[in-house]
Amino acid sequence: MPGEISEEKRVKDPLATKADKTVYKALGLSGGIYGAVPCAVDVKNGKIIRIRPLHYDAKYDSKTFNPWEISKNGKTLKPMMKALPSPFSLAYKKRVYSPNRIKYPLKRVDWDPDGDRNTQNRGKSKFVRISWDEAAELIAGEIKRIHREYGPLAILIQGDGHGECMFVHATHGSSSLLLDKMGGFTQQVRNPDSWEGWYWGSKHMWGSGLIGMMAPANNLVKDITDHTELLLVWGGDPETTPWGFRGQFASNIVRFWKEIGIRQIYICPDLNYAAAIHADKWIPVLPNTDAALQLAVIYTWIKEDTYDKEYVDTHVVGFDKVKAYVMGEEDGIPKTPEWASPKCGVSEWTIKALARDFADNVTTIGHYFGGGMIRGPLSHEPARLEVVLLGMQGLGKPGVHQTQIAYQGMPRNIVTPKTGGHMAMFESLKNSKYGDRLLKPHSLTPKAWGKQMIPKTLIETAINEGRVDFWGTGGIEVPTSDQFVKYTYPIPKEEGGTEIRMIWSDTPCRITCWGHGHHIAETARSPKIELFVAQAPWLENDSLFADIILPIKTTIETDDISPCVRDGESFQSLVRMEEAIPPVGEAKSNYEAVLEVAKKLGMYDEVTEGRSSSELIKDVFDDMGFDKYISWEEFIEKGYYVLPVAEDWEDDTAGLYDFYKDPEANPLPTPSGKLEFYSERILKNFPDDIERGPIPRWIEKSETHDERISSERAKQYPLLLMSNHGRWRVHAQCDDITWTREAFTCKVKGFDGYNYEPCWINPGDAEKRGIKDGDIVRVFNERGGTLVGARVFERIRPGAVSVDHGARHDAIIPGKLDRGGAINSVSPAGLTSKHCAGQATSGFLVEIEKITPEQMGRWMSEYPEAFNREYDPGSGLRFDAWVEKRR
Amino acid sequence: MSKKVFVIDINKCNGCHACQIACKDEHVGNDWSPIAKPQPDSGQFWMNLTERVRGTVPKVKVAYRPHLCMHCDDAPCIEVCPVEDAAYKRDDGLVIIDGDKCSGCRLCVEECPYDVVYFNENLNIAQKCTGCAHLLDDVWVEPRCADACPTEALRMMDEDEAMGIITDAQIWKPELKDKVKPRVYYLNLPGRFIAGTVYDPNEKEVIKDADCTLTEASSGKELNVKTDRYGDFWFEGLGEGEYSLEIIKGDRKESFEKIDTTSEDINLGDIPIML
Repeated sequence: MPGEISEEKRVKDPLATKADKTVYKALGLSGGIYGAVPCAVDVKNGKIIRIRPLHYDAKYDSKTFNPWEISKNGKTLKPMMKALPSPFSLAYKKRVYSPNRIKYPLKRVDWDPDGDRNTQNRGKSKFVRISWDEAAELIAGEIKRIHREYGPLAILIQGDGHGECMFVHATHGSSSLLLDKMGGFTQQVRNPDSWEGWYWGSKHMWGSGLIGMMAPANNLVKDITDHTELLLVWGGDPETTPWGFRGQFASNIVRFWKEIGIRQIYICPDLNYAAAIHADKWIPVLPNTDAALQLAVIYTWIKEDTYDKEYVDTHVVGFDKVKAYVMGEEDGIPKTPEWASPKCGVSEWTIKALARDFADNVTTIGHYFGGGMIRGPLSHEPARLEVVLLGMQGLGKPGVHQTQIAYQGMPRNIVTPKTGGHMAMFESLKNSKYGDRLLKPHSLTPKAWGKQMIPKTLIETAINEGRVDFWGTGGIEVPTSDQFVKYTYPIPKEEGGTEIRMIWSDTPCRITCWGHGHHIAETARSPKIELFVAQAPWLENDSLFADIILPIKTTIETDDISPCVRDGESFQSLVRMEEAIPPVGEAKSNYEAVLEVAKKLGMYDEVTEGRSSSELIKDVFDDMGFDKYISWEEFIEKGYYVLPVAEDWEDDTAGLYDFYKDPEANPLPTPSGKLEFYSERILKNFPDDIERGPIPRWIEKSETHDERISSERAKQYPLLLMSNHGRWRVHAQCDDITWTREAFTCKVKGFDGYNYEPCWINPGDAEKRGIKDGDIVRVFNERGGTLVGARVFERIRPGAVSVDHGARHDAIIPGKLDRGGAINSVSPAGLTSKHCAGQATSGFLVEIEKITPEQMGRWMSEYPEAFNREYDPGSGLRFDAWVEKRR
Repeated sequence: MSKKVFVIDINKCNGCHACQIACKDEHVGNDWSPIAKPQPDSGQFWMNLTERVRGTVPKVKVAYRPHLCMHCDDAPCIEVCPVEDAAYKRDDGLVIIDGDKCSGCRLCVEECPYDVVYFNENLNIAQKCTGCAHLLDDVWVEPRCADACPTEALRMMDEDEAMGIITDAQIWKPELKDKVKPRVYYLNLPGRFIAGTVYDPNEKEVIKDADCTLTEASSGKELNVKTDRYGDFWFEGLGEGEYSLEIIKGDRKESFEKIDTTSEDINLGDIPIML
């Protein structure tokens, strides 16, 4: 069998003290085929004894890596000889052995497929243990019945998003391998959940980029080092969000830039973790008011004549229209610093100083997904205004870029094509014999899949209203023009269209990760959904609303392979990922779980195509072309391979330099080939859309959103809440690690002993409400409430509060009040804007109040089941709390 | 045998807690006797990343500091231990409490001036950082915390090799330096700051290049900076005490007396000066 290795042939890892085996695992959590953060897992007697960073040079001579160097002002940045995992990768032992692990298949006690399904009790009633055989039989029987009664498209697959790194066993989407061969399914299309504004906004202006940010973005780290004088980190946090994606190399880049004298200004409502240590200046803007600040900067440049007019004349379409709006010729309101200051909470003098600093210096704007700017209501407006800012200062000029810090733009390895970026490494796989099998579960392209689709943000509308229209699927890999295509769910009956009746999810975290989680919880009880199957390693969030639950292995227990080939780490690598320990309980991999169901349907051979998992692992190695660089035998003996740096990486063109140099010869993929400040296409397709018009604007209130401090609502809910991706989680992952939960900003212990999700509150706002650090606080608006722990300090500006999204939902009153601090439970349900099916989960109005022991006592007597569930402050919610001991 | 020192550069620490977590990964649930018995799952921090928020909006910084056993050459825990060889110093300078010999008297827990000796109620023993001596005795050259540090802020070095660096380094609680002789050296521990922004309330403009003079009350020592392009001035690395500040732009002047940094960093906020 390919991939097996005798113990004598295994090359020993020198640091494996007292271990009898070391297995290398990609422990990044961005998921799927995009491996990252290779770690060494030392195992003894089938138990993990330690998880530590892989030392790249443990088994290779580091000279063969051809390590890169970037120097400036006598200082040098170079890769480190080890991976740089985040604390939750290092603590992954706690995830594997979490008391929250699902140990065996479960069925909800009062779900009876032959009798009453009691869908109203989802999220309330408990579960009983069943066998794998029973579970597979039940699911197979329901699939057959639903296919017969409604047709194949009545089954919705929720199989996308982040998670552990697994390729063959596919963290998400394995069920598509089965249903695709049985007539198809309805696909939940993942929206651009961490970068909505870029996708729905700036993508129209520069036309490029899968995610809508500046593309190409090659070789930026070197170019910024060489030319940039000022770095504005606007919203995102390079010391937080990279952790789960690529580990911590971004930290070293940002510190190096500081050491060589690139000044860093952080524009964000919170003193985020990067601002806390790297900022030369922190400009605390109110959440989701960046558009006002940006407009005032543009106003100042026009007024003072400090923008690149020659570039604008030759590279830009529609500057005159933006200028007319900014100067007040369109609506009579000049967008002056005086106009902007009360909206965005930044003083007039600071706005003017920022505008001049930006104009006087070679400036790059940095991000790293998420943050206070890009996931809010109408986020396409600040996203588009950022392109206006960069365009007015010569975007593409050496040192003038937008950069997702370290996510792209690092020195290229030998496997990455010179153009096309790191994603292009999967191209050869697409055309290989088993490429379709290998890539299908990971594919985000709706064309490859579903005949009938629902954007992830519109699942509840689709269930409740039975019909939904949307413009653009929101799919990540689709071109900008898709945003002008109108789709309808369900598709016509004659094409197989039907409402969904069953959900099969391997991504059961919508309640805490998507908008208005309370509404998601309510909708999960719809009798229209006759069966909800969840498969996951941990029992939490949406799983508690499931009817059948399948226990899934973590990546540590799974035999797989992971190319860690994207930017953001010291070196890219390929990791063998052998099974490190036996499965916990009766867990199977996502793929194996689907095969259990396939067996009952007589579909096993069709799904496997006669190929074993270990053969598929070797297919990845061969078909991605790694055999050109290292033999399979040497690879499995060593357990990992480090991709050398390309000899000629320094010559790679940085960012949009070619467009800057000659826009006629190197046009952008927009209709005009230019940077489109004004989009004729948007106007033509949506002539009446005032939320996303042809030019970006400040929108005080609109059809979809009413979340400004000028709103009537603000009288009741006067604070603007921002929500970033978690410092101590990756979305919903890793909320149960006892060790990280001890960190000062991870959890706050309440007077009742419960560990609450922290809410950052400025001391002034806290004092007005009688709130002290450590108090239990309710964050609420008319969409419901969630309990949090007050962290009262100066890391958040007055008028704003901040709660990281993704804490595990723990309902007190289902659909109304949550104890887990799942802040998205009260975020807007509405889309980014009318024609943009993104989420709007940061920058919305709330009020906060202190919860007294008396109030808590009232809830305890009214909702005893919520308070009597087994709970451990160390790790939080537990599997045992939801499982009845009897059969 | 060369002696070990810890060298911790606060400027490089990004506060990620990887050191604290790697320590737990190595010691929780693993028995490395005779060097260390298992650490409880929570509540003990043989490597403890501390954090402190400094200043007020918008002049705020966070100070992180990894805190651990200082592996003192004149260690009070060894001094006070009533059991022979239960607490001892190795040739490489690391201080170990032997879990098999410890009687559970808790004297070392009380005596440690750095509060880094923890008591394990279940095992009835005192426990603390061992410098991962069990790994160094194998082939490791640094403990788990340093191996996990992504920025090289935290290093274990041979004392000889570190001499050039540690002569100017600081130690935690400098008053204990001669008494206990700690082996953990910090670089760039932050002092206090006094900061503010100067602006013209009529013009609604920041005031650049204003001359700011800070005088330390006790010594009369003066420090001078000019406001930057944002009208900001920063005096950093200050001591704990009383200061006065004079801001001059042209013929306009603004003064602040009795600025007290004893217990906190000071942001004087937006300071209006009419030109």
